[in-house]
Amino acid sequence: MIKKIVVPVVCLFISVCFLSCEKQPLPIFGQRQVVTREENGKQVNDTVYHTIAPFTFTDQDGKTITNETFKGKVYVADFFFTSCRTICPIMKTQMLRVYQEIQNDPEVLLLSHSIDPEYDTVELLHDFAARLDVKSEKWHFATGQPKEYVFDLAQKSYFATAMEDKTEPDGFIHSGAFLLIDRLGRIRGKYDGTKEDDVDRLMKDIKQLERE
Amino acid sequence: MSNRNGTIWISGSILIFLITVFGCSSNTGKPDTSSVKFTQYVVRGEELYQKHCSNCHQKNGSGLGLVYPPLNTSDYMDKNFEKVLCLMKYGLKEEITVNGKNFVQPMPGVVTLTDLEVAEIATYIYNSWDHNRGIVDVTEASRVIKNCATADQ
Repeated sequence: MIKKIVVPVVCLFISVCFLSCEKQPLPIFGQRQVVTREENGKQVNDTVYHTIAPFTFTDQDGKTITNETFKGKVYVADFFFTSCRTICPIMKTQMLRVYQEIQNDPEVLLLSHSIDPEYDTVELLHDFAARLDVKSEKWHFATGQPKEYVFDLAQKSYFATAMEDKTEPDGFIHSGAFLLIDRLGRIRGKYDGTKEDDVDRLMKDIKQLERE
Repeated sequence: MSNRNGTIWISGSILIFLITVFGCSSNTGKPDTSSVKFTQYVVRGEELYQKHCSNCHQKNGSGLGLVYPPLNTSDYMDKNFEKVLCLMKYGLKEEITVNGKNFVQPMPGVVTLTDLEVAEIATYIYNSWDHNRGIVDVTEASRVIKNCATADQ
Protein backbone atom coordinates (compact mmCIF):
# COMPACT_ATOMS: atom_id res chain seq x y z
CA MET A 1 0.00 0.00 0.00
CA ILE A 2 2.75 2.37 1.02
CA LYS A 3 4.76 1.52 -2.11
CA LYS A 4 1.76 2.44 -4.26
CA ILE A 5 1.90 5.96 -2.88
CA VAL A 6 5.62 6.40 -2.34
CA VAL A 7 6.80 5.31 -5.79
CA PRO A 8 4.69 7.79 -7.78
CA VAL A 9 5.45 10.58 -5.34
CA VAL A 10 9.19 9.98 -5.64
CA CYS A 11 8.94 9.83 -9.43
CA LEU A 12 6.95 13.05 -9.49
CA PHE A 13 9.46 14.73 -7.20
CA ILE A 14 12.40 13.69 -9.38
CA SER A 15 10.68 14.88 -12.55
CA VAL A 16 9.87 18.22 -10.94
CA CYS A 17 13.56 18.53 -10.06
CA PHE A 18 14.54 17.85 -13.64
CA LEU A 19 11.98 20.29 -14.98
CA SER A 20 13.26 23.03 -12.72
CA CYS A 21 16.79 22.44 -14.03
CA GLU A 22 15.54 23.18 -17.52
CA LYS A 23 15.57 26.95 -17.20
CA GLN A 24 12.92 28.99 -18.90
CA PRO A 25 14.27 31.95 -20.87
CA LEU A 26 13.88 35.25 -19.05
CA PRO A 27 10.76 37.21 -20.02
CA ILE A 28 10.92 40.24 -22.30
CA PHE A 29 9.10 43.18 -20.70
CA GLY A 30 6.85 45.69 -22.39
CA GLN A 31 4.60 45.85 -25.40
CA ARG A 32 5.56 44.09 -28.58
CA GLN A 33 4.44 44.68 -32.13
CA VAL A 34 4.41 42.35 -35.06
CA VAL A 35 5.74 44.02 -38.17
CA THR A 36 5.22 42.41 -41.52
CA ARG A 37 7.83 42.89 -44.21
CA GLU A 38 8.52 41.34 -47.58
CA GLU A 39 11.55 39.18 -48.11
CA ASN A 40 12.14 37.56 -51.50
CA GLY A 41 8.49 38.02 -52.35
CA LYS A 42 7.33 36.31 -49.13
CA GLN A 43 5.56 37.89 -46.16
CA VAL A 44 7.75 37.67 -43.07
CA ASN A 45 6.55 38.62 -39.58
CA ASP A 46 9.01 40.27 -37.21
CA THR A 47 8.35 40.89 -33.52
CA VAL A 48 9.51 44.30 -32.37
CA TYR A 49 10.15 44.50 -28.62
CA HIS A 50 10.19 47.42 -26.24
CA THR A 51 13.71 48.77 -25.82
CA ILE A 52 15.33 51.53 -23.78
CA ALA A 53 15.03 54.83 -25.70
CA PRO A 54 18.25 56.59 -26.79
CA PHE A 55 19.83 58.54 -23.91
CA THR A 56 22.83 60.74 -23.18
CA PHE A 57 24.28 61.38 -19.73
CA THR A 58 27.52 62.47 -18.11
CA ASP A 59 29.11 59.98 -15.76
CA GLN A 60 31.21 60.50 -12.61
CA ASP A 61 34.36 61.01 -14.72
CA GLY A 62 32.69 63.71 -16.79
CA LYS A 63 32.51 61.32 -19.76
CA THR A 64 29.50 61.17 -22.03
CA ILE A 65 27.62 57.89 -21.80
CA THR A 66 24.90 56.81 -24.25
CA ASN A 67 23.18 53.63 -25.38
CA GLU A 68 26.34 52.93 -27.34
CA THR A 69 28.28 52.61 -24.07
CA PHE A 70 26.02 49.70 -23.12
CA LYS A 71 25.50 48.22 -26.57
CA GLY A 72 26.20 44.49 -26.68
CA LYS A 73 26.48 44.36 -22.87
CA VAL A 74 24.16 43.11 -20.20
CA TYR A 75 23.55 45.88 -17.69
CA VAL A 76 21.69 46.62 -14.47
CA ALA A 77 20.07 50.06 -14.08
CA ASP A 78 18.59 51.83 -11.08
CA PHE A 79 17.46 55.29 -9.94
CA PHE A 80 18.69 56.95 -6.76
CA PHE A 81 20.20 60.14 -5.32
CA THR A 82 23.11 60.49 -2.94
CA SER A 83 21.34 62.55 -0.28
CA CYS A 84 18.49 60.06 0.05
CA ARG A 85 18.22 58.39 3.42
CA THR A 86 15.31 56.04 2.86
CA ILE A 87 15.81 53.18 0.43
CA CYS A 88 18.85 54.34 -1.58
CA PRO A 89 21.44 53.32 1.00
CA ILE A 90 20.00 49.80 0.99
CA MET A 91 19.92 49.81 -2.80
CA LYS A 92 23.54 50.89 -2.94
CA THR A 93 24.49 48.20 -0.43
CA GLN A 94 22.80 45.65 -2.66
CA MET A 95 24.18 47.09 -5.91
CA LEU A 96 27.63 46.89 -4.37
CA ARG A 97 27.04 43.15 -3.91
CA VAL A 98 26.19 42.90 -7.61
CA TYR A 99 29.32 44.93 -8.41
CA GLN A 100 31.50 42.60 -6.39
CA GLU A 101 30.00 39.65 -8.24
CA ILE A 102 30.50 41.07 -11.76
CA GLN A 103 33.51 43.38 -11.39
CA ASN A 104 35.77 41.08 -13.42
CA ASP A 105 33.14 40.17 -15.99
CA PRO A 106 33.67 42.27 -19.14
CA GLU A 107 30.15 41.53 -20.40
CA VAL A 108 28.24 43.20 -17.54
CA LEU A 109 27.93 46.89 -16.57
CA LEU A 110 26.02 48.86 -13.95
CA LEU A 111 24.21 52.18 -14.45
CA SER A 112 22.87 54.25 -11.56
CA HIS A 113 20.90 57.35 -12.57
CA SER A 114 20.72 60.23 -10.15
CA ILE A 115 17.18 61.60 -10.00
CA ASP A 116 18.52 64.73 -8.27
CA PRO A 117 21.03 65.86 -10.91
CA GLU A 118 21.17 69.45 -9.62
CA TYR A 119 22.62 68.31 -6.30
CA ASP A 120 24.41 65.20 -7.61
CA THR A 121 27.02 66.89 -9.76
CA VAL A 122 29.82 65.08 -11.59
CA GLU A 123 32.24 65.98 -8.77
CA LEU A 124 29.88 64.73 -6.09
CA LEU A 125 29.21 61.45 -7.89
CA HIS A 126 32.92 61.04 -8.51
CA ASP A 127 33.52 61.30 -4.78
CA PHE A 128 30.59 58.99 -4.05
CA ALA A 129 31.91 56.29 -6.41
CA ALA A 130 35.42 56.66 -5.00
CA ARG A 131 34.03 56.21 -1.50
CA LEU A 132 32.32 52.99 -2.60
CA ASP A 133 35.67 52.02 -4.15
CA VAL A 134 34.18 51.12 -7.53
CA LYS A 135 35.62 51.50 -11.03
CA SER A 136 34.02 54.06 -13.35
CA GLU A 137 34.22 51.86 -16.45
CA LYS A 138 32.21 49.17 -14.67
CA TRP A 139 29.69 51.18 -12.64
CA HIS A 140 28.54 54.43 -14.24
CA PHE A 141 26.77 57.08 -12.16
CA ALA A 142 24.70 59.19 -14.54
CA THR A 143 23.91 62.89 -14.20
CA GLY A 144 24.07 66.02 -16.35
CA GLN A 145 20.48 66.13 -17.57
CA PRO A 146 17.44 67.97 -16.20
CA LYS A 147 15.53 65.85 -13.72
CA GLU A 148 12.48 65.75 -16.01
CA TYR A 149 14.66 63.97 -18.56
CA VAL A 150 15.58 61.31 -15.98
CA PHE A 151 11.99 60.92 -14.76
CA ASP A 152 10.81 60.50 -18.34
CA LEU A 153 13.43 57.86 -19.13
CA ALA A 154 12.67 56.04 -15.88
CA GLN A 155 8.95 55.90 -16.49
CA LYS A 156 8.73 55.39 -20.23
CA SER A 157 11.81 53.28 -20.91
CA TYR A 158 12.51 51.41 -17.68
CA PHE A 159 8.92 51.31 -16.31
CA ALA A 160 10.34 52.53 -13.01
CA THR A 161 8.77 55.14 -10.75
CA ALA A 162 10.73 58.34 -10.29
CA MET A 163 9.23 61.75 -9.68
CA GLU A 164 9.39 64.77 -7.46
CA ASP A 165 7.12 64.96 -4.42
CA LYS A 166 7.61 67.74 -1.92
CA THR A 167 5.54 65.88 0.67
CA GLU A 168 8.06 63.02 0.82
CA PRO A 169 10.85 63.26 3.46
CA ASP A 170 13.56 63.65 0.80
CA GLY A 171 11.44 65.37 -1.84
CA PHE A 172 11.23 62.48 -4.31
CA ILE A 173 9.36 59.26 -4.72
CA HIS A 174 11.06 56.51 -6.61
CA SER A 175 11.03 52.76 -6.74
CA GLY A 176 13.89 50.65 -5.43
CA ALA A 177 13.85 48.58 -8.59
CA PHE A 178 16.90 47.14 -10.30
CA LEU A 179 16.28 46.59 -14.01
CA LEU A 180 18.14 43.94 -15.96
CA ILE A 181 18.75 44.97 -19.57
CA ASP A 182 19.95 42.60 -22.27
CA ARG A 183 22.43 43.15 -25.10
CA LEU A 184 19.64 44.45 -27.34
CA GLY A 185 18.42 47.05 -24.86
CA ARG A 186 15.37 45.05 -23.76
CA ILE A 187 14.20 44.76 -20.13
CA ARG A 188 14.53 41.15 -19.02
CA GLY A 189 13.99 41.39 -15.30
CA LYS A 190 12.80 43.67 -12.51
CA TYR A 191 14.02 43.17 -8.94
CA ASP A 192 13.51 44.83 -5.60
CA GLY A 193 16.89 46.41 -4.92
CA THR A 194 16.13 46.61 -1.22
CA LYS A 195 15.70 42.85 -0.78
CA GLU A 196 18.71 40.62 -0.52
CA ASP A 197 17.00 37.49 -1.87
CA ASP A 198 15.62 39.34 -4.88
CA VAL A 199 19.11 40.61 -5.65
CA ASP A 200 20.35 37.01 -5.38
CA ARG A 201 17.82 36.17 -8.07
CA LEU A 202 19.14 39.06 -10.17
CA MET A 203 22.69 37.75 -9.94
CA LYS A 204 21.52 34.31 -11.14
CA ASP A 205 19.55 35.89 -14.00
CA ILE A 206 22.60 37.91 -15.11
CA LYS A 207 24.50 34.63 -15.57
CA GLN A 208 21.58 33.13 -17.45
CA LEU A 209 21.25 36.16 -19.70
CA GLU A 210 24.94 36.05 -20.52
CA ARG A 211 24.54 32.50 -21.82
CA GLU A 212 21.74 33.50 -24.22
CA MET B 1 1.06 9.30 14.35
CA SER B 2 0.70 10.10 18.08
CA ASN B 3 4.29 8.94 18.55
CA ARG B 4 5.44 11.48 15.97
CA ASN B 5 3.46 14.24 17.65
CA GLY B 6 5.16 13.28 20.89
CA THR B 7 8.59 13.63 19.27
CA ILE B 8 7.71 17.07 17.93
CA TRP B 9 6.51 18.16 21.36
CA ILE B 10 9.67 16.92 23.07
CA SER B 11 12.04 18.52 20.56
CA GLY B 12 9.99 21.70 20.67
CA SER B 13 10.22 21.86 24.44
CA ILE B 14 13.97 21.21 24.37
CA LEU B 15 14.39 24.00 21.83
CA ILE B 16 12.40 26.47 23.94
CA PHE B 17 14.37 25.40 27.00
CA LEU B 18 17.69 25.99 25.22
CA ILE B 19 16.59 29.36 23.85
CA THR B 20 15.46 30.44 27.32
CA VAL B 21 18.67 29.30 29.03
CA PHE B 22 21.10 30.67 26.47
CA GLY B 23 19.00 33.76 25.80
CA CYS B 24 19.33 34.72 29.45
CA SER B 25 22.95 33.77 29.88
CA SER B 26 24.07 36.07 27.04
CA ASN B 27 23.04 39.14 29.03
CA THR B 28 24.87 38.26 32.21
CA GLY B 29 28.53 38.74 32.96
CA LYS B 30 28.69 42.51 32.63
CA PRO B 31 27.76 44.95 35.38
CA ASP B 32 24.30 46.53 35.22
CA THR B 33 23.40 44.87 31.94
CA SER B 34 21.29 42.09 33.43
CA SER B 35 18.42 44.26 34.59
CA VAL B 36 15.01 44.16 32.97
CA LYS B 37 15.36 47.88 32.22
CA PHE B 38 18.59 47.33 30.30
CA THR B 39 17.00 44.53 28.27
CA GLN B 40 13.98 46.72 27.49
CA TYR B 41 16.24 49.56 26.37
CA VAL B 42 18.24 47.24 24.11
CA VAL B 43 15.16 45.64 22.55
CA ARG B 44 13.44 48.97 21.89
CA GLY B 45 16.75 50.48 20.82
CA GLU B 46 17.31 47.76 18.27
CA GLU B 47 13.83 48.33 16.81
CA LEU B 48 14.47 52.06 16.53
CA TYR B 49 17.95 51.45 15.13
CA GLN B 50 16.53 49.27 12.39
CA LYS B 51 13.88 51.87 11.62
CA HIS B 52 16.03 54.99 11.58
CA CYS B 53 19.71 54.02 11.29
CA SER B 54 20.36 50.64 9.70
CA ASN B 55 19.52 51.74 6.14
CA CYS B 56 22.86 53.49 6.06
CA HIS B 57 24.88 52.09 8.96
CA GLN B 58 23.68 48.51 8.21
CA LYS B 59 22.12 46.04 10.59
CA ASN B 60 25.55 44.76 11.61
CA GLY B 61 26.86 48.31 12.12
CA SER B 62 29.47 47.95 9.39
CA GLY B 63 28.52 51.15 7.53
CA LEU B 64 29.05 51.32 3.76
CA GLY B 65 32.47 51.94 2.28
CA LEU B 66 33.60 55.49 2.98
CA VAL B 67 30.06 56.82 2.45
CA TYR B 68 28.44 55.84 5.76
CA PRO B 69 30.75 55.36 8.75
CA PRO B 70 30.80 52.11 10.74
CA LEU B 71 29.40 51.89 14.26
CA ASN B 72 30.56 48.38 15.14
CA THR B 73 34.13 49.55 15.70
CA SER B 74 34.29 53.31 16.01
CA ASP B 75 36.77 55.48 17.84
CA TYR B 76 34.47 58.40 17.01
CA MET B 77 31.70 56.84 19.12
CA ASP B 78 34.13 56.17 21.95
CA LYS B 79 35.41 59.76 22.01
CA ASN B 80 32.20 61.65 21.22
CA PHE B 81 29.47 60.11 23.36
CA GLU B 82 27.53 63.35 23.87
CA LYS B 83 27.86 64.39 20.24
CA VAL B 84 26.56 60.99 19.10
CA LEU B 85 23.39 61.45 21.18
CA CYS B 86 22.91 64.94 19.74
CA LEU B 87 23.44 63.93 16.11
CA MET B 88 20.76 61.24 16.33
CA LYS B 89 18.24 63.99 16.96
CA TYR B 90 19.74 66.98 15.18
CA GLY B 91 21.88 65.46 12.43
CA LEU B 92 25.46 66.24 11.51
CA LYS B 93 26.84 68.26 8.62
CA GLU B 94 30.53 68.54 9.46
CA GLU B 95 33.25 66.26 8.15
CA ILE B 96 34.22 63.64 10.72
CA THR B 97 37.07 61.16 11.13
CA VAL B 98 36.22 57.61 12.09
CA ASN B 99 39.02 55.08 12.61
CA GLY B 100 41.38 57.37 10.71
CA LYS B 101 39.11 57.78 7.68
CA ASN B 102 37.18 60.89 6.78
CA PHE B 103 33.43 60.92 6.09
CA VAL B 104 31.61 63.86 4.48
CA GLN B 105 28.08 62.65 3.76
CA PRO B 106 25.73 64.80 5.88
CA MET B 107 23.59 62.83 8.29
CA PRO B 108 19.96 63.92 8.67
CA GLY B 109 18.71 63.91 12.25
CA VAL B 110 15.44 62.44 13.43
CA VAL B 111 14.12 65.46 15.28
CA THR B 112 10.99 63.62 16.43
CA LEU B 113 13.00 61.26 18.65
CA THR B 114 12.15 61.59 22.33
CA ASP B 115 14.84 61.63 25.00
CA LEU B 116 13.85 58.09 25.94
CA GLU B 117 14.18 56.92 22.33
CA VAL B 118 17.63 58.51 22.04
CA ALA B 119 18.56 56.72 25.28
CA GLU B 120 17.28 53.42 23.91
CA ILE B 121 19.15 53.71 20.61
CA ALA B 122 22.29 54.79 22.47
CA THR B 123 21.98 51.83 24.83
CA TYR B 124 21.63 49.52 21.86
CA ILE B 125 24.56 50.84 19.80
CA TYR B 126 26.80 51.33 22.85
CA ASN B 127 26.26 47.71 23.91
CA SER B 128 26.42 46.00 20.54
CA TRP B 129 29.35 44.81 18.44
CA ASP B 130 32.59 46.07 20.02
CA HIS B 131 30.90 48.27 22.63
CA ASN B 132 29.92 47.47 26.23
CA ARG B 133 29.25 50.80 27.86
CA GLY B 134 26.23 49.69 29.87
CA ILE B 135 22.86 51.40 29.97
CA VAL B 136 22.41 54.97 28.76
CA ASP B 137 19.64 56.12 31.04
CA VAL B 138 16.91 58.54 29.96
CA THR B 139 17.96 61.11 32.58
CA GLU B 140 21.50 61.03 31.17
CA ALA B 141 20.14 61.38 27.62
CA SER B 142 17.94 64.33 28.66
CA ARG B 143 20.89 66.09 30.27
CA VAL B 144 22.98 65.66 27.11
CA ILE B 145 20.21 66.62 24.70
CA LYS B 146 19.46 69.80 26.66
CA ASN B 147 23.01 70.94 25.95
CA CYS B 148 23.16 69.98 22.26
CA ALA B 149 24.57 72.72 20.08
CA THR B 150 21.85 72.46 17.49
CA ALA B 151 22.64 75.68 15.69
CA ASP B 152 26.00 74.75 14.21
CA GLN B 153 25.30 71.10 13.41
